[in-house]
Amino acid sequence: MVDNSSALLAIAMMAGIVYLTRLSGYFVGLQLRHIRGIQPVLEALPGCAFMAILAPAVRQGSPSEILAMICVILIMWRSNNVALATGVGMAVLLFAGPYLPG
Amino acid sequence: MTTSKSALHGIRTSGDYFISTFLFGVMFGIAAVSAGLETWQALLMCATSFTASGQFAALEFWAAPLPLGTIALSVALVSSRNLLLGMSMTHHFDGHSLGRRIVWLALLNDPGVVNSFRMDAEIDRLGYVTGYGLSMMVSWLLSTWIGLNIANLVASFDLGTIDFAGPLVIATMMMLFFKGSRSKPAPWIVSGVIALLLFEIGAPNYLILLGSVLAGMVAAILQTRRDGGASNG
Repeated sequence: MVDNSSALLAIAMMAGIVYLTRLSGYFVGLQLRHIRGIQPVLEALPGCAFMAILAPAVRQGSPSEILAMICVILIMWRSNNVALATGVGMAVLLFAGPYLPG
Repeated sequence: MTTSKSALHGIRTSGDYFISTFLFGVMFGIAAVSAGLETWQALLMCATSFTASGQFAALEFWAAPLPLGTIALSVALVSSRNLLLGMSMTHHFDGHSLGRRIVWLALLNDPGVVNSFRMDAEIDRLGYVTGYGLSMMVSWLLSTWIGLNIANLVASFDLGTIDFAGPLVIATMMMLFFKGSRSKPAPWIVSGVIALLLFEIGAPNYLILLGSVLAGMVAAILQTRRDGGASNG
């Protein structure tokens, strides 16, 4: 059982770290903004980060996880409906697993 | 559009991710009970950190004595994409006081940033992202509280496969970004390929993120130069 003071310390530390990551990216960007042509480079960064997380996750995914990912991408491609895409993806994860190999 | 109207617009357009966040929050509440967090601890963590991935990472290590260094490192690594989100907003938060930007950046969130790129130029993006973040925060707190209260009812279910829900939500943001952003896809494709290569050679997660994002940046710089050269020529 974690005591209250340790838990409070950990929670405060987590909040500080996350807030710093939110703040520091913006202020680093402010220092770079005078560089000509930097705006399209900075605006490509979230997409690069998403791909850096997604590519390895899909590569090591089980068949049901890959199927769920395909469903999500297809639904988003056709409808942009995030709730539907996430709901279908999670349903595939929960219910397709036992019927697929791996 | 004024800041307050943009914030309201952010709240109004956040419905889809309100639901997705809600699903995650319920799962976080259940996982928090399983890890031994008390209700006030879980809710305080949600209100102050407001980061699903970072909080799930911390739960992995939540046992006495708390390994603060390990928790700090894992939360920093999974939150590192916030650096990139913040950098991408560099040109879009002008016109606000420094104090407001410092305070409101606490609510910087992935879907708010991604959706803000799809909005008209006249929208106040700091207001929009903050409104979006407020909505996500309400969803996150409410759903975690529900998860904490129903944890005992669902204790017998195997929710292990739901771990992959994180990448699924990121995929929805990727698709919104892909369809709505003016950015060309070459840097993202380069990032994805490099991430795969680094993964295959067994690089640690932080190197995969760092290496692939740097490669994507190089691709974006080359593309910007080429486009600049073409428009000059």
